[in-house]
Amino acid sequence: MYDHLDDLEAQSIYIFREAYRKFENLAMLYSIGKDSTTMIHLARKAFFGKIPFPLVHIDTTYKYPEMIQYRDRMAREWQADLIVGSNAAAIEAGMSPAAGRLVCCEKLKSEGLTKIIEERDFHGLFLGIRRDEEGSRAKERVFSPRDKNFEWAYKDQPPELWDQFNTNFDPGTHIRVHPILHWTELNIWEYIQREKFEICPLYFAKDGKRFRSLGCMPCTTPIDSRATTVDEIIEELKTLKDPERAGRAQDQENAYAMQKLRAKGYM
Amino acid sequence: MNQNETLKIVIVGHVDHGKSTLIGRLFYDTGSIPEVRYREIEATCRAQGREFEFAYLMDALEEERDQNITIDTASTFFKTAQRPYVIIDAPGHKQFLKNMITGAASADAAILLVDGAEGVREQTRRHAYVLSLLGIRQVAVAVNKLDMVAYDRTRFQQVDNDIRVFLHSVGITPSYVIPISARDGENIASRHGKVPWYDGPTILEALDSFGNVRAEAGAPLRLPVQDVYKWDDKRIYVGRVETGEINKGDEIIFLPSGKITRVKSVEKWGQTDLPQAISGECIGITTDDELFVERGEIISRRRRKPVAACQIRASIFWLADRPFQSGKTYTIKLGTAEVQAVATAIEERLDSSTLEVTERYAAELMPSEVGTVLFTLKNEIAADPYSENTRTGRFVVEEGLQIGGGGIIRSLTDKSGVSAQRINLGESFIVGDEGGLVDLVDEFGSIEFDVTSGFVDYLGKGNCILFKLRDLGQLDPVARLAFQHDLSFLFSRGDGSLNIVMSKRSPHGRLVSDDNGNGPII
Ligand SMILES: Nc1nc2c(ncn2[C@@H]2O[C@H](COP(=O)(O)OP(=O)(O)OP(=O)(O)O)[C@@H](O)[C@H]2O)c(=O)[nH]1
Ligand SMILES: [Mg+2]
Repeated sequence: MYDHLDDLEAQSIYIFREAYRKFENLAMLYSIGKDSTTMIHLARKAFFGKIPFPLVHIDTTYKYPEMIQYRDRMAREWQADLIVGSNAAAIEAGMSPAAGRLVCCEKLKSEGLTKIIEERDFHGLFLGIRRDEEGSRAKERVFSPRDKNFEWAYKDQPPELWDQFNTNFDPGTHIRVHPILHWTELNIWEYIQREKFEICPLYFAKDGKRFRSLGCMPCTTPIDSRATTVDEIIEELKTLKDPERAGRAQDQENAYAMQKLRAKGYM
Repeated sequence: MNQNETLKIVIVGHVDHGKSTLIGRLFYDTGSIPEVRYREIEATCRAQGREFEFAYLMDALEEERDQNITIDTASTFFKTAQRPYVIIDAPGHKQFLKNMITGAASADAAILLVDGAEGVREQTRRHAYVLSLLGIRQVAVAVNKLDMVAYDRTRFQQVDNDIRVFLHSVGITPSYVIPISARDGENIASRHGKVPWYDGPTILEALDSFGNVRAEAGAPLRLPVQDVYKWDDKRIYVGRVETGEINKGDEIIFLPSGKITRVKSVEKWGQTDLPQAISGECIGITTDDELFVERGEIISRRRRKPVAACQIRASIFWLADRPFQSGKTYTIKLGTAEVQAVATAIEERLDSSTLEVTERYAAELMPSEVGTVLFTLKNEIAADPYSENTRTGRFVVEEGLQIGGGGIIRSLTDKSGVSAQRINLGESFIVGDEGGLVDLVDEFGSIEFDVTSGFVDYLGKGNCILFKLRDLGQLDPVARLAFQHDLSFLFSRGDGSLNIVMSKRSPHGRLVSDDNGNGPII
């Protein structure tokens, strides 16, 4: 039976194929999390098993070792072209959340990303954000232009309707494409359950703890959980009262932390 | 209906009438706001020295909270015992109409909010008209802020009446008109007894009563070619089945090129030999013959195919800051096709709030105005009238580099110059208690009929069919239809429209009567 997951999947495939047709030099941001892993699975569906653009992972050096091992193993399995970028200068200068979490995110992630985009001359990036994650993401378009400084003009976004996306831009503009914007956290897990693709082991409970959202070690806290399978995670989700990103410290810094980070190019 | 089928609901209405508050309250009353989110809103309001604002659940941007206004549309997710919902908040300020339409365009149903104290205002009417243009027919009205008028029944009835009259003029019949207070939570998720004179549903009950109308059942195959992948020694046409279905072995035609071939395979990743794909699915197909067809063509069957149009008459709603200009060349995007189109004439220019035709043969359309525009296309594209197929009957117009407006196709002309608006008599005729009906009142431009055996049989059994005409210009094709199928017809003039009653002539020159002997006798 054709159901809601088929609907969501078809919409994502449509977005992938539109972007691939319209832009040269695309890349996909791979964060190792369940969302970007789902996004890769959807890209393989769209392109009959291929991933016809490189994956970019921005390493902050604060990632869990399990994440890096999983990333490298999966990239081989998918036969993907994996590019690891970083803001080497900031890392060398000892950037850490001690300088302020938002400063650290901006230096290591946003600027790390900017660097690789400029080096490789990427015209656009696929990003695995979802509208249900938090307030500023709820207002995103599927195809979202960013100016030369990667800033998001969230107060004046172009219209987008009937799956007609804005695909022409001034030179120097950079496009962000959001293939899973319309999915919810629960949808992602239902889809992982149905499609049975492998996700990072940190999502499953070990010693009574598991990660609901994956990030850098100093700024990510696991939740108490006994869920060791995807089925158990889905059951658990129905009882959780906190939002998904409650364990991500940068979101909690102040009321508009995410809006401000994202206006300046954060994912 | 599928339990998990998500329904998309947009909340529209005039600025400040309480749309975002309604959503916040609905979430609060159903326990759908996470505790930390609630505390964050509480802290922000305290810092601002304001009472708790439910609207802040949706108005998450700092600029929105500072000015207490919604700038951009936002989606949020919500579940009742019956099914999941996407709730789309739309901004009410006229300046943000483009964001309102961005939000509303994908909705299955709408709640139109009216401030009970202020009554129907400019954007109330404009948004209602936009809903009708977008083809959103399931609409419930909520009359909000009744706490400010002491839940006065007379006041409610006055607003109820005003809004029904306006909705009627845009062809919408509201499912309900619900008295509410978003601030007090009256009739949102539950009743608190403030409106004892009202016995209809709450907002929550109204949502659950909406049906899922997305699938265009019975519509013929439309599969726009999105891309062509030449991989693994194969040439795969990829795209989404917009309507209808496609089967392995089907004979298909690509339009506008007119190339004909057969479907060799219907494919998805890891499934290279599917028997069929249905509407909504993104697939790839290979064909028997190596054709060289590009993105933008539409795959259909030879029967009931789209029109290869070179001229389009459409209702355009304009959203860009710069005016839409007669005589200018625009890029139109329809399905996956893109074409250069000259705006040959702006035949009518309309105030989208009062629905008043302000000018005929106008030079410009200003932002938020609606017009009937005739486009002459530089190349043919395949399309349908919106009344036949919403998915291939609508398009966007680019202004500069961005989407500047949307269009709904009223009629199309192909290369032969013959108007190609085809009315399929299998689909567009309705059988009711009093006989058959073919309603042509909403058909613009000239028309032609595709006769079906069901239509002929129905008349052959002695039934009558009433044709409601838009104007005398439609008389010609109707008369031709009667002549070609040896039918008789009678004129009648009812409620301001021109009616024709068609029936089968009996062998004796008399009209046959139906089983009860009630047929028309001449
Ligand atoms: N008294 C009263 N005030 C209300 C009610 N509903 C909303 N308000 C207030 O009306 C103001 C506007 O509410 P919003 O929800 O922001 O209005 P909106 O329709 O979303 O406005 P835009 O999105 O900017 O068009 C806020 O200050 C609300 O607190 C109600 O039922 N009663
Ligand atoms: Mg609002």
